[in-house]
Amino acid sequence: MSNQEILGRKPVQILEKIKENLEKLNEKMEVMIELQKHGRNEMQPLPDAPLDVMTLLSMPDHLRKTAMTVCRLGRATAEEVSEQTHRARAVESAYLNQLVTMGHMQKERNGRKAYFYVERETKKEET
Amino acid sequence: MGKIIAVHSYKGGTGKTLLSVNLAATFAKQGKKVCLFDLDFRAPSLFTVLKVEKADCWLNDYLNGTCGIEKVLIDLSNKAQNKGGLYIGLANPSTEAIRDMSSKDRKWEMRALGRILALRNSLLGDKSFDYLILDTSPGLQYSSINAIVSADIVLVATTFDRSDVNGTKLMLRELYDLFEKKTEIVLNKVFDAPLKTGKDMQTKLKDIYQAPILGIIPCFCDVLKAEGNIIFAQEKPEHPFSKLLDEMASRINTV
Repeated sequence: MSNQEILGRKPVQILEKIKENLEKLNEKMEVMIELQKHGRNEMQPLPDAPLDVMTLLSMPDHLRKTAMTVCRLGRATAEEVSEQTHRARAVESAYLNQLVTMGHMQKERNGRKAYFYVERETKKEET
Repeated sequence: MGKIIAVHSYKGGTGKTLLSVNLAATFAKQGKKVCLFDLDFRAPSLFTVLKVEKADCWLNDYLNGTCGIEKVLIDLSNKAQNKGGLYIGLANPSTEAIRDMSSKDRKWEMRALGRILALRNSLLGDKSFDYLILDTSPGLQYSSINAIVSADIVLVATTFDRSDVNGTKLMLRELYDLFEKKTEIVLNKVFDAPLKTGKDMQTKLKDIYQAPILGIIPCFCDVLKAEGNIIFAQEKPEHPFSKLLDEMASRINTV
């Protein structure tokens, strides 16, 4: 089957795939922009990084605001966080991904939406 | 939805428990459904003040994840002559429990924060409480900061002691402001303070603390003489101390 035939049969799916990839690329670029803005030091991944109040206190202001909002909401998308902080969704997306890289938060995809949350209960302790 | 109030201070002995208990009783008197928690795990005192010495479950158990919050709640609504409801949650006063709470690690504290944050839904949401008052331990203790992070309003009990003034100013800048918390100062044990504070004094105090002043409580000999045996807001509603509490509670209702 030629490329033209594929394009003719599945144009919507292909466009959706392109859009999805562009969104992923955009997210990665936002993180890179944030990296340049605030420096690399605060983004070092930590092997054991519980998000306790002392960690919150020692965070830079911009990340603390985001982390506090997720703590309050429990589980949230970048859009939901941005509604609370009144900062742009793209900015919140970058901060949230930064917190994930630092090991303070977890990210879970559900379709197109990415949800961020703080893992407080470990599976081992629940059983 | 209701509000979570954390009562905190820089130093000990500023009257946090006195303020928390009387504020809870005042809200209940006004017809509100109130819950008062003792989060001072290093020096629990609510059980003595409220003369409740046994509990099926302590707040320690809830934070340890071994019981639900409904088992911690003790209903004191009948005991108090109020229109609303008054419930309490106690910290375990046994030496073993105090020692256990003093040796928790960061992961435990992180889970404890999650459980305190969950009270918003379970108590203010599902159980329709109007206020949850968290009486904390002084200074930068984990349990206190967990309470501050979870609160809508932080009441800072302070005195005119110089080290307390400086410490309170420091906490306003380096703790409450960092968490973007709405703070209200309550000046307690003020020697020779007038019952009606003039605008000049309010402005002067606002300049010192750079934060709103909720109330100024004079040093009442009656309150000191009572040695923690009387809940003034319940037992002496006409006392000037109770009247000041009425004013503070009304102001909090509008915050």
